[in-house]
Amino acid sequence: MMPFRLPHVGTGAVLPDMAAPRPAGSFLPPRPSRNSQAGRISIPALVVLLAIAIAIPLIPYQMTVSNYVVLMFMQAVTYAIAVLGMVVVLGYTGQINLAQAAFFGIGAYGVALGMLSGGLNFWISLALGVAGATAAGLALGLTTIRLGGHYLAMITISFQQIFDLVLVNWVDVTHGPDGIAGITRPSLFGISLADDKAYLLFCSVVLYVLVFAVWKLPDTRLGRAMRAVRENQLAAEVVGVHTLRTKVTAFSLSALLGAIGGGLYAGGFAYISPDNFNFARSIEFLTATLLGGAQSPFGGVIGTVLIVQLPEWLKLLPESLRFIKDVYLAVYGLGVILIIIFLSEGIWGLVKTIRTRLFAEQTTTDTTGIPALTLESAGSHDGPLLRVDNLQKHFGGLKAVDGIGIDVERGTVHALIGPNGSGKTTSLNVMSGIYEPTGGKVIFEGEDVSRLRPHQRASRGIGRTFQNIRLFAALSALENVMIGAQRSNNPIAPGEGALRERAMSALQFVGLADRAHVIVRNLPYGHQRLVEIARVLAGNPKLLLLDEPAAGLNQTEKMAFVELLKRLRGHGLTIFLIDHDMGLVEKISDRITVLNFGRKIAEGTPAEVLRNPDVIAAYLGTAGKVN
Amino acid sequence: MALLELKGVASYYGNVQALKGLSLHVNQGELVTLLGANGAGKSTTLKTISGLVQPAQGEVWFEGRPIHRLGPEAIAKLGISHVPEGRRIFPGLTVRENIMLGTSTRGRLPRAQMADEVEQMFAIFPEIKKFENALGWTLSGGQQQMLAVARGLMARPKLLLLDEPSLGLAPLIVQNLFGTIREIRSLGTTILLVEQNANMALSVADRGYVLETGSLTVEGTPQDLLDNEEVRAAYLGGHHG
Amino acid sequence: MQVLFDNLQVLFQGLALGSIYSLVALGFVLIIRATNVVNFAQGDFAMLGAYSMVLFFTGLGWPYWVSFVGALAAMAVFGVIFNYGVYYPLRHRSFLPVVISTLGASIFLQNTVLAVFGPQPRPLEKVLAADGVNIGGVFLDSQYLVILAVTLALVLFTYLFFEHTLLGKKLQATSQDKDMARLLGIPVALMISITFIYSAVLGGIAGVLVGPILFVSIGMGSIIALKAFAATIIGGFGDVTGAIVGGLLLGVIESMAAYHISVPYKDAYAFLALFIFLLFRPSGIFGEKVSEKA
Repeated sequence: MMPFRLPHVGTGAVLPDMAAPRPAGSFLPPRPSRNSQAGRISIPALVVLLAIAIAIPLIPYQMTVSNYVVLMFMQAVTYAIAVLGMVVVLGYTGQINLAQAAFFGIGAYGVALGMLSGGLNFWISLALGVAGATAAGLALGLTTIRLGGHYLAMITISFQQIFDLVLVNWVDVTHGPDGIAGITRPSLFGISLADDKAYLLFCSVVLYVLVFAVWKLPDTRLGRAMRAVRENQLAAEVVGVHTLRTKVTAFSLSALLGAIGGGLYAGGFAYISPDNFNFARSIEFLTATLLGGAQSPFGGVIGTVLIVQLPEWLKLLPESLRFIKDVYLAVYGLGVILIIIFLSEGIWGLVKTIRTRLFAEQTTTDTTGIPALTLESAGSHDGPLLRVDNLQKHFGGLKAVDGIGIDVERGTVHALIGPNGSGKTTSLNVMSGIYEPTGGKVIFEGEDVSRLRPHQRASRGIGRTFQNIRLFAALSALENVMIGAQRSNNPIAPGEGALRERAMSALQFVGLADRAHVIVRNLPYGHQRLVEIARVLAGNPKLLLLDEPAAGLNQTEKMAFVELLKRLRGHGLTIFLIDHDMGLVEKISDRITVLNFGRKIAEGTPAEVLRNPDVIAAYLGTAGKVN
Repeated sequence: MALLELKGVASYYGNVQALKGLSLHVNQGELVTLLGANGAGKSTTLKTISGLVQPAQGEVWFEGRPIHRLGPEAIAKLGISHVPEGRRIFPGLTVRENIMLGTSTRGRLPRAQMADEVEQMFAIFPEIKKFENALGWTLSGGQQQMLAVARGLMARPKLLLLDEPSLGLAPLIVQNLFGTIREIRSLGTTILLVEQNANMALSVADRGYVLETGSLTVEGTPQDLLDNEEVRAAYLGGHHG
Repeated sequence: MQVLFDNLQVLFQGLALGSIYSLVALGFVLIIRATNVVNFAQGDFAMLGAYSMVLFFTGLGWPYWVSFVGALAAMAVFGVIFNYGVYYPLRHRSFLPVVISTLGASIFLQNTVLAVFGPQPRPLEKVLAADGVNIGGVFLDSQYLVILAVTLALVLFTYLFFEHTLLGKKLQATSQDKDMARLLGIPVALMISITFIYSAVLGGIAGVLVGPILFVSIGMGSIIALKAFAATIIGGFGDVTGAIVGGLLLGVIESMAAYHISVPYKDAYAFLALFIFLLFRPSGIFGEKVSEKA
């Protein structure tokens, strides 16, 4: 692999960009906007939040509150930690988890059994519980390799139910339905936490640290990968995200947070029993997450506080309204439906929406000082960059691709054309790893990549775009492109700064740097196409596969797009594309391959191919003998 | 008066404006073809007529009344039968059942009449008769296409919308199919035919339109269109041959 | 000899229990096929059916069969309400919101019933007054016999309805391709309502039948639903035959394992069987292959 940004004649090249001239040499990474990032909060809001956060656990020190109230706080704080896990797995990664109470329970039983049966100290017991839960989370996460969606819901419920059954029935170990009493609180650095107030303060500090971590997570590599999986798993995989590892990590983190919450809960209440950790509790965690807003730790905390406190507040209702307390849980079920229908992003989402309405969103970004995009297309391998050899892809009896062979030479633009249903997109899907070939080989730089997963191919430098744009719709343009930049083996400097810089360069290259912080679903269609291309370019592809990149563009946009492709070719990038606009294909291609009925019917220069009678017949059709 | 008339129709397909002020008409008894390259908006035109896509602007009139605010079920009941792209055979139902469902707009039919009409379809498409009780997904592409057309005809439509019936079919089958389309037309059904096989479509049509990126460029008789450079341009881009 | 009789007895009970799972699983699958939604409130359909029966028969003192018909009518109405309240507003959203919405419905239904009827489980009369019959040393409880007979009849009816009526074909068409169904003039919204009605009624019947055995309780639905869902996966996700076979199989596995291994873990065996299937044959007995839309 060539080092980053060393000039290499003919291979790695510095590309000029579309935008206006900029001051040379100045390097100022663009300022991120407040609104488009996952969890940005304005300074005044942050101060208020902090003040409230610090004040709450100190209340018991300032005034006399009943023991009952302190325990209620304790419940809210420990539940909130478990709900943070739900934020990670459901809110960030989009995977359903209906077993959070089981993880919570593993943490709690870890502490209880470790201390009372194992004679270990609190911290070691907690660590064991957390480790056990994390391992269980990892195992559950691994099931997503084959199963998603409904199956995952079922798997997690099954796990939850089995856990419950074990707690109740394995009396010798778990003490059965009677539960375990007499759990004591630890001391920390010599300070005893036995006192309710001190223990609550300690738990609150743990919660705050974890809220901070979860709040910052979305803007890390892992966090972006998680959100990419949530938004569009296929696109995530194709741009180089190891989607399975990301999901497994999300489940493990969720379990870890659940177990920390559970362990602290056990210490807080001194007594635990199986009905604290059953399916209903999992549903409660889920509801808290949704109510507050699954995509933010703050939402999760708000939701938890409401769920824990609401029944208490209902007790304060006047006599005539007491009936509400009796049907509280029914109302709460109804609430779930209503939240999902009318408030799909929860309370925190509502707050964000209002704030966006009140304060205009930043939609333009300062574009000074963005370095020019460099592309490393060097390779040691001689011969064609990509060789497709006798490739076959059958779906049942349908031979979508029926033994085609194509050589894509380094540094060329190679087009694949053919009538609808001739197997073009299927070929591209086999090349990028979305489908495994039925027969034949895909060889990239001399390596047989036929059986590699899409993210593994991305890590070797195969990038692609989709016919029906597949962006991460709820993320900003910059975040989309950063996900492209963070593929493994991308020859750029390590660190967030370099990723961001790389992404801005790619956006600058397609002329969208000033729109970097706009959520992509709000961008016009033509711009979305360009963001998708910038996302691939940020990953330094050696081979760019484009599936109908000009579809849906108007004439002006098409012209600009042709220029873009020419600039890319001018700097040595190899491009393989499908398009139906023959004018466009003719202008930019060095070579054209024509498919019909899954077979290659012609290949050559544009002039040769478009005059070929077979090709004309395939497109215009032969006038039959009907006349 | 035209049987079907589109007046300045603009439609969006997702984020993309697929139709930009399209106007066209189809007269009673005509076979009109709509040509154009992929992405020109041909399928969206048919979907806008049958109600799968709601036009953002403009009007669609059928038999002297506006239909562009109606849903697909209601439009089907008025006598427009849409045989969409990709055939859309119900994979888990048999060939016979697929055909029978074509009568859904016509209320309850006596058992004998139903059987009789299904036989009439088998008479038009003898090739699928022998698969009568096979499930839809087991059919080949050509057989599925015939089944789709048969199902569409069972509605006894006043207007039949055919979307790329030749797609993915071998030349010989295409010729058979177009023979059948002529036959259907000669029985008095008005047809709007979308095709990528331009020569084939023009060989059976009375009139044709050429669509390019959502608007019409050329209109005329088959001979006009065959002689027209723009028709070739629409398919092959540059000006060849 | 006694061992054989005991085993037969357990097998018989397993089949009866499995029949209940099958009925609920059938309702599950019909909704999955029509709407692509997994209804986590399916078990509560059974719970509601049983409580309707308690209300009409025990509460209002209606004759048994009038109460039975009343309970089924109530379930039919409920099916429509469920469709328009829980599924319909979310029909264009992804699966996750809908799943969560049905979970919410489940919580709502259980707690509403709890508020009305209280936490005490209610007994329910058996369908037949007779205790049962003893055939060669194997005792066949009358309620179990009724369950088997009714399940058989319902499966037969479902088959005839879906395979031999045009309405059944329209329902199938709707579940296979909604847009195409609309193009043919099939009223899709009505078809989906019918599916929910039928599914709710099936659940209701299961509840009324199992009530005398398990007692009528708030939580009775949840555990049945989980087993039924497990049955659909074991049988083959979305496959009608698979749901029925899966339900019966699960009932037998559960009863046999409880008899031969250990009773307290009775409920765990179903999930264990599910895990094994998911690991080694995720497509289930009758499934073609697992495919999730990209």
